[in-house]
Amino acid sequence: MLAQLISSAADGVVVAAILAVAAMGFTLQFSLTNVLNLSFGAVMTIGGFTAYLANLAGLNAWLGLVLGAVAGAVATVLLGRGVLRLYARRHTQLFEMMMVTLGMSLVIDYGIQAISQNAIYGYTVLQAAPIRLGPIDVTPIQVAIIGMAVVLLVAVEAGLHLTKLGKALRATAVEPSLARSCGIQTGRVVLITWVVSGALCGLAGVVYIISTQSVDYTTGELFLPLVIAAAILGGVGSLRGAVAASLVMGLVTEIVAGFGGAAYSTVAGFAILVVVLLLRPGAVFGGAEDRQLVL
Amino acid sequence: MGAWAFYITTLLVYFAVDVLSAFSLNLQFGYAGVVNFGFIVFQAAGAYAAAVVVLGPSGGVASFQQYVFGARLPFPLDLLVAAAAGALLSFVVGLFALRRMRRDYQAAVLLIVSLIALQVVSADVPLFNGSNGLTGVTWPFGEFFGATATGQPWLYLIYSLVICAVVCGGVWWLSRSPWGRSLRAMRDHEDAASAMGLNITSLRLQVFVLGGAVAGLSGGLLVEYIGAWSPGAWGYAETFVIFTAIFVGGVGNYRGVMIGTLLVPIIFLEIPRFLPAIGYPGLTDSLEWVVVGLAWMLCLLFRPRGILPERRLRAPRAEGVALDPAPAEGGA
Amino acid sequence: MAGQLAVDASSSPETPAVGSPPVLVAKGVGVGYGGVRAVDDVSISISKGEVVGIIGPNGAGKSSLLGALGGQVKRTQGVITLGDRDISSLMPHDRARLGLVRTFQTTSEFARMTVYENLVTAAEGDRGASLRSVVLHPRQTAQRELELRARAWSIMERFEMTHTADLYGRELSGGQRRLVEIMRCLMRHPRVLLLDEPMVGVAPHLTGKLIDDLRGIAQEGLGILIVEHALEVVRKLCDRVVVMAFGKVIAAGEFEEVVRDPVVQAAYLS
Repeated sequence: MLAQLISSAADGVVVAAILAVAAMGFTLQFSLTNVLNLSFGAVMTIGGFTAYLANLAGLNAWLGLVLGAVAGAVATVLLGRGVLRLYARRHTQLFEMMMVTLGMSLVIDYGIQAISQNAIYGYTVLQAAPIRLGPIDVTPIQVAIIGMAVVLLVAVEAGLHLTKLGKALRATAVEPSLARSCGIQTGRVVLITWVVSGALCGLAGVVYIISTQSVDYTTGELFLPLVIAAAILGGVGSLRGAVAASLVMGLVTEIVAGFGGAAYSTVAGFAILVVVLLLRPGAVFGGAEDRQLVL
Repeated sequence: MGAWAFYITTLLVYFAVDVLSAFSLNLQFGYAGVVNFGFIVFQAAGAYAAAVVVLGPSGGVASFQQYVFGARLPFPLDLLVAAAAGALLSFVVGLFALRRMRRDYQAAVLLIVSLIALQVVSADVPLFNGSNGLTGVTWPFGEFFGATATGQPWLYLIYSLVICAVVCGGVWWLSRSPWGRSLRAMRDHEDAASAMGLNITSLRLQVFVLGGAVAGLSGGLLVEYIGAWSPGAWGYAETFVIFTAIFVGGVGNYRGVMIGTLLVPIIFLEIPRFLPAIGYPGLTDSLEWVVVGLAWMLCLLFRPRGILPERRLRAPRAEGVALDPAPAEGGA
Repeated sequence: MAGQLAVDASSSPETPAVGSPPVLVAKGVGVGYGGVRAVDDVSISISKGEVVGIIGPNGAGKSSLLGALGGQVKRTQGVITLGDRDISSLMPHDRARLGLVRTFQTTSEFARMTVYENLVTAAEGDRGASLRSVVLHPRQTAQRELELRARAWSIMERFEMTHTADLYGRELSGGQRRLVEIMRCLMRHPRVLLLDEPMVGVAPHLTGKLIDDLRGIAQEGLGILIVEHALEVVRKLCDRVVVMAFGKVIAAGEFEEVVRDPVVQAAYLS
């Protein structure tokens, strides 16, 4: 019983690490642009498939990780700069922007379905014999994933608070027009945010398929609910909040799965968001009414 | 019955089902401004509910398909159960998803509900036979006509058209009523509507549950015709076919919505059948969805008012009121 | 227009009200956002037939106070009574049903409904338009529609807006939108009217008429609380004035005395 709990909790930390990478990317772009980007899951799938193809081409798995991140960044920049700008020029409202990202998600998902012939592809790289630590079985790659999440959190936080660009980004997120009149090139800030968040997204896609050992066109879409829930629960715009929420989500989903409710593990994660919504909607959504589009 | 006649009949049954869905979604979205991105889940709930109450008692694990609560109910109980299932699920989801929040958050929460529901039903085999789904669903008049719905397509067509007409008429009538007008006020300005005495929380839940009931009914009607229902039938993308139909036809105009339904889910999605097959089987299906996504994005880009835009209702004159006493406003 | 001083800042002793009993009374109302106190211990009362103005520099908490009275903003302390009923924790629509209605700082007309529909819907914001009465009592509903029709037309006539009856809210000019908001409020037979900067967007040559209209409405027995920036409007319209700064009431009384108050002048200059 206790051993099961500890073992599930360890799995939960691994899931949390993957979730945290994605949630950081999601919250970063959402807090700046205010667009609730529903194509995030589709871009994760792009990252995953890129790594799969890299592996197929005989490239090193770690290089696949990097290529997945690059693909995520490129796709996100194309969508953000190319597509969303087009809509912004036609004065599309914030809310309609979210519908646009949903359309992009449909196009990407089913485009991938068409190309991938609607099949599931195995992706077994970087697998190694698990190390036993008491009740916990953990593979070296899982340790690496957790380490990577921690490093990324520290790196992005440091970038936000220590670099000039990070300060510009935070200023733009709070008060875009003021930032603009202070000489901050908000267009550049947004572009860099697309790059960074897209890279995190693509990376999360690769890490996710390493963990599940397979990839298909629904990969990102299945993970998206948890990402959005974690980002919203963490208080949009807060990286540390997103990571903390990811940890809670990861633990809850894996513990529920560990005790026989595999079908309901995602529901359990989502249930946390529902409970927060019911009890303290203000805590989650407070003060977000008058945000404006920044692209 | 010839192949063509059967094909046309089937399309018309689908049309009846889609019109029901589109009316329900138009009531929620076009009139009340509730962006139900999880719409298809409520249709699915009705389909599953209708399936298990006509399939008869479940054979359990030993049987080729498992499901909960097997029964054999006569008409109209099967459709009532389907509607009730849609309404009940809407109520439960509405309790948290309709909380006062930004509209894009609300839509995202409903989309998440749609994605998660699909995962759960696919993975939980004892519930509705998992990803294989349920088959062998018949229509409730089988004992009278000695056949399945697909064996008597003309009868089923009449049956579904009558139900569609009655329910859609009801939805239309409610939309035109003072209640429907309150929905539009809520859609246009929530704070002002509540400051004018409208109970927003209750109104939104009412329209969500009512729409859910109609969605459930449409699911029941559909499953009894095609005889089977599985997670493959209600991916999140299905919701956007109906949304696109509403955009094309004209948000808030039921006649337009009907035309949109004829154009998008029926004619547009049937065209590939008549084109030469390309690639591997299933490629056209995938590409169809890509085109739905593109159509959806084009709708948002050009913001068409639809084929028939929402109609202005001219104010009825009161007795003894002089018409247009003030010729021109001084540019206030 | 008895300019009785029924407003008490917490610092000053309470002055007994003369004349008709107040219809809306707020005692010690506070509103806080996070750590900021937008409204701090404000007490205010309005009597029938009286027009009370709230003035003060930007960020003084005027709109927050109106929000707390109308129920749109969560109050953190204090008691609000309408007539003899404590409405402090009622939802906005319940307050409206008891006769407390308001307009908003940014115009809030129903944009895709005609002016006529704007009016009629407002009046129905109670059980008259409920799903139950529409379905179960169609005859009463139809009867009610007829009554509302007559009322809507008479109000439109009064404000010389009958020619806009079939126009959508979004097709109106700024001033017309303000009028629609006020007409909509009147459809509800209100006891108290809260107006948030009703003159914004109204063409200068029409403000005089709107002032007369509002005075006329008040004389029919309504209490009006109005937030307004233009001091000239306040001087002509209001029986008495409450000055707010930094969330508190810093002065109250008749317009002419209040504006000469050095405390008020300091608040405006700072």
